[in-house]
Amino acid sequence: MKKKTLLVLFTAGAVAGGLLSTKALAQVEGELTPEQEMKLVQEYNRFLAEGINPGEVWYEVGKEAIKKYNLDKCDLGLGPGVFKGAMAQLPRYFADAGKVMDLETRVGWCLQKHAGMTQDQVLKFVRQCWGKTGNCVSEYDGIIMYLTMESNGQKINVNLKDPKVKRMYDVGRQVYYARIGPWDFNCATCHAGKQEVRIRATRLWSADRPGEAGNAVSIFPKYLVRWGLPMTMHYRYAECIRQMRWPEFMPHSDLAVALSTYLYGTANGTEIKAPGIGR
Amino acid sequence: MKKVALTAMTLLFLSGMAQSQQKKAQPQKKEAPVTQEEVIKVLTSGLSTDPRFVWKVQQDEAQRICSQYTSREAMPAQAVQKVIQLSQSGIRYPQWGIFWGDWREGKKIVDNPRGGRFASYGFSDSPTDRGGNCYACHLIEKGAPGGTMGPNLYQYGKKWNITKENMNSPEALERVRAVYNIIYNAWSAFPCSSMPRFGHNGAFSPEDVMNIVTFLLHPDSPVNK
Repeated sequence: MKKKTLLVLFTAGAVAGGLLSTKALAQVEGELTPEQEMKLVQEYNRFLAEGINPGEVWYEVGKEAIKKYNLDKCDLGLGPGVFKGAMAQLPRYFADAGKVMDLETRVGWCLQKHAGMTQDQVLKFVRQCWGKTGNCVSEYDGIIMYLTMESNGQKINVNLKDPKVKRMYDVGRQVYYARIGPWDFNCATCHAGKQEVRIRATRLWSADRPGEAGNAVSIFPKYLVRWGLPMTMHYRYAECIRQMRWPEFMPHSDLAVALSTYLYGTANGTEIKAPGIGR
Repeated sequence: MKKVALTAMTLLFLSGMAQSQQKKAQPQKKEAPVTQEEVIKVLTSGLSTDPRFVWKVQQDEAQRICSQYTSREAMPAQAVQKVIQLSQSGIRYPQWGIFWGDWREGKKIVDNPRGGRFASYGFSDSPTDRGGNCYACHLIEKGAPGGTMGPNLYQYGKKWNITKENMNSPEALERVRAVYNIIYNAWSAFPCSSMPRFGHNGAFSPEDVMNIVTFLLHPDSPVNK
């Protein structure tokens, strides 16, 4: 058992380590030299061509971590330890918590309940690889990867007929359009509108163009070649919010749940295909 | 008499129907619509309470108005007017007033992608970074890659026929003022535009804005080559 974990970690490390040379100098986002950028694109294209997704390594990491942290007792809405297809019906209302929760928020709740972590410990656990650009394998990322991949092939089916979920969806939609902060951004600044636009070279997906929200969220956690680790949805929110110049995002918050309910609700009917891969 | 009775009966029947409809509607008990206060409460619940940054989530009146509409086309004329009025009234100019600044200084701000971003886990800009990250949304100098969210600004000064000969004419300086207003507070010309209100929000000083305008309009600037 231990040997297996070590092997997995070694594989993940080797995969990430191979890219370290590209990333070590790029401590800060957006400061890649043209040569580094080229190398990154080549690496990314190679992964695409060969059909490799290093993100899958985290599935095994998560499988072990779920046992280690007693998460086989965790109920994602289909019963304790029932994980097949559970992600597809999230976010949902949980009577035991009295709240609507998305996958990551629910896992955080379970870590407090079944692994005896405090809220602060959970936050630390969640963010241990945030801001890292190489050789960082987090058990939390593994857990989220495992739980999401257990729903691969299933269609997202958020129950918007439940009034509590519907309300969170409505709040999330309005959060999406809330202009706030010192640069006046909202989510819709980049991810809404019928017309297709780019931020520098990046084509942006839009909630207003059919299917695009689904394509965007159904592949999370998404393996990012430039960081050598899978980015969970809450890390994605945190990075968007950093770019928006808002104060730092808190994972597992109502804000996260509202956004997830709006995004996954909009994505209803899209097949889950984790992990995705990106530069 | 007969007619009156008939009318009365009809009225009774109608009111009875209305009543039964009311009764039917009651058990559904429509939930109160989501209020802006509720949205802001959820939003701020998910953001750090670091005292250095709490000011960032104080929504101002113009932001509150813009948050209610998914596009400018969806805004009623009154809301458009209000945002324009709020935005125009807050514009401040450098102590020199309208003048030509230094396009090289403007270029530095335009080219610099860093400024204003902070996260405790890293990837933060430094507090003194004050780039506008203009290329994220605009094409500006020839051949420099940029985004397509905002308009193409290549040869922006040429577009307004600004030449070495006429650049200090009242018309040219009026153009400088108009572009200054857009960069200082884009919502004064394009209410609720995606473009940040750089001057209004304090990201750039009035002098910074003047230098950026000069970079865009000056005949010597590479933008107009």
